[in-house]
Amino acid sequence: MSRSVHVADSLHEEGENIGLHRFALFTACCTALLIFVGGLVTSTESGLSVPDWPTTYGWNMFAFPVSKWVGGIFYEHSHRLVASFVGFLTLILAFWTWVTEKRQWVRMLAVAALGTVMAQGILGGLTVMLLLPTAISMAHACLAQTFFCLVIAITLFTSPQWKNGLPVAHPAVNSVSSVTLPALCAMTTAAIYTQLLLGALMRHTDSGLAIRDFPLSFGRIIPPFMSSHIAIHFSHRVGALIVSAMIVWTFLRIRSAYQEYTLLRRPATVMFSLLWLQLALGASTVWSSKAVLITTAHVVTGALVLGTSVLLTLRAWTMVPSKEAARVPSWR
Amino acid sequence: MRKLSLLVCSLLMLALVACGGNSNELPTLPDGPGGTTGGDAPPATTASIMGKISFEGEVPKPARIQTSADPNCKKELTSEETKVSDGGLENVIIYVSGGDGVAGKSYAPPSTPVEIDQVDCHYIPHALVIQVGQELAVRNGDMTLHNIHTLGEANPTWNVGQAAQNMVNKHIFEKPEVLLPVKCDVHGWMRAFIAVLTNPFGTVSTQGGKYELKLPAGKFEITAIHEKYGKQTTMVEVKDNDHTTIDFKFKASDAKSGN
Repeated sequence: MSRSVHVADSLHEEGENIGLHRFALFTACCTALLIFVGGLVTSTESGLSVPDWPTTYGWNMFAFPVSKWVGGIFYEHSHRLVASFVGFLTLILAFWTWVTEKRQWVRMLAVAALGTVMAQGILGGLTVMLLLPTAISMAHACLAQTFFCLVIAITLFTSPQWKNGLPVAHPAVNSVSSVTLPALCAMTTAAIYTQLLLGALMRHTDSGLAIRDFPLSFGRIIPPFMSSHIAIHFSHRVGALIVSAMIVWTFLRIRSAYQEYTLLRRPATVMFSLLWLQLALGASTVWSSKAVLITTAHVVTGALVLGTSVLLTLRAWTMVPSKEAARVPSWR
Repeated sequence: MRKLSLLVCSLLMLALVACGGNSNELPTLPDGPGGTTGGDAPPATTASIMGKISFEGEVPKPARIQTSADPNCKKELTSEETKVSDGGLENVIIYVSGGDGVAGKSYAPPSTPVEIDQVDCHYIPHALVIQVGQELAVRNGDMTLHNIHTLGEANPTWNVGQAAQNMVNKHIFEKPEVLLPVKCDVHGWMRAFIAVLTNPFGTVSTQGGKYELKLPAGKFEITAIHEKYGKQTTMVEVKDNDHTTIDFKFKASDAKSGN
């Protein structure tokens, strides 16, 4: 009797945990959608089309008539509603994790995600009430990416695969490198995050078209730095080169040394593919003079690159034993 | 799971109640301060300058504005950025920007407000002159929502929403600023330009690029400024009952490139 109860409990627990994992995945997808909708607000310059917050033209935001969702209000109000929905999902996610999850650190991570989404909501309100100051708008953009990473991490940590233990990954015999894969992945993630910071700075200082030609800059490799806008824009281009190099390095490293590990190879391939899409979107943003959909797709693809890199980094840290470290070349 | 559902429903209800006002309640009008006093009454304008702002070069074809984002904006609109009629450039602001005639003087702002109306999702007028301390009254003449968003550098940004037709919001600019753009973020094509002056001597060119600026006797620096074609300045001295002609010429090649 007790044995059957125990088995039933286990099955029930497993079912709930799979549910939690799927819910976290759903929240992550909704967050990507939210980043897209938020990107649309900036791309269409609709950020101040609803001057009040948390109300909308004096209405309760959830009761604002659909017939009045016109022009820029459509983008800003939709952003607020999708944000509220994601906030609500995060609340459920935190509660669900807190109740069902045994690992204390995962519970704390879910609480951190809830805190982050709340801070993000307040920052969103401040951007409206303080009339889009660059620092607040940037913080709002960057915290969105941080929150996205947190939800992806929770999705990963609640996956059955993670809980059952990821396989240990050993590098191919003939691979040599002075940098461990986990360290390389972490550096790539840091580079992508920094690039997203620069992208946010570029968007919120209106520097997106400070250099109107591409791939050259004012017909030169290095532009004349006549204004801070040009410097910001050019730093984003330099950042793209660094990020590209890091991603290609990470991809090639996994292809050469960890080819047989699907859990590493797949995200590396996805990240590598997204990189080319992102570069094409970045170039098209300039060529199209910041066409709304292209620019916004550039923002959301950036978030996806970051998210994939975070996933890969977390897996690499877990799968690659610390002793693997570097197979230091003989000349060192 | 039942507890979870109960909690979720409770939180949803709480959010609905806490996050805003009554859905049927119209937003209250934030009353702006009244016109400030102080300074001298404007002197009698016994003289005037008049003339034409001519436009040289190829006149850009007015771009048709895509207004489908708001079904309430039914009228076909074209860009007012370059409005040329009979060879003259409209919406050029001509004003006294200096000179002995105004040096060291301060002028009390008029008690009557300057008005902007929003009709068919565009501003009327497109360019206007106001004095520091004078009230600006912005009316929503449309059956849709607008927000009024000033983009001043010397003056603080003002952003206020108008949820209903015939709402009027008032505002006062405390510092001189030329040009101060006004935009509506709901309808991204809506733009107006304001010259906030320290004196009452300013006007805007109309049909055919014609203008007339009434002045007291004195020596003045006159500036003509346009949102796209930049500004030009000249000096003039007028005596009582003088009616002097001063023409300005703006060239298509002077156009500032947009971002």
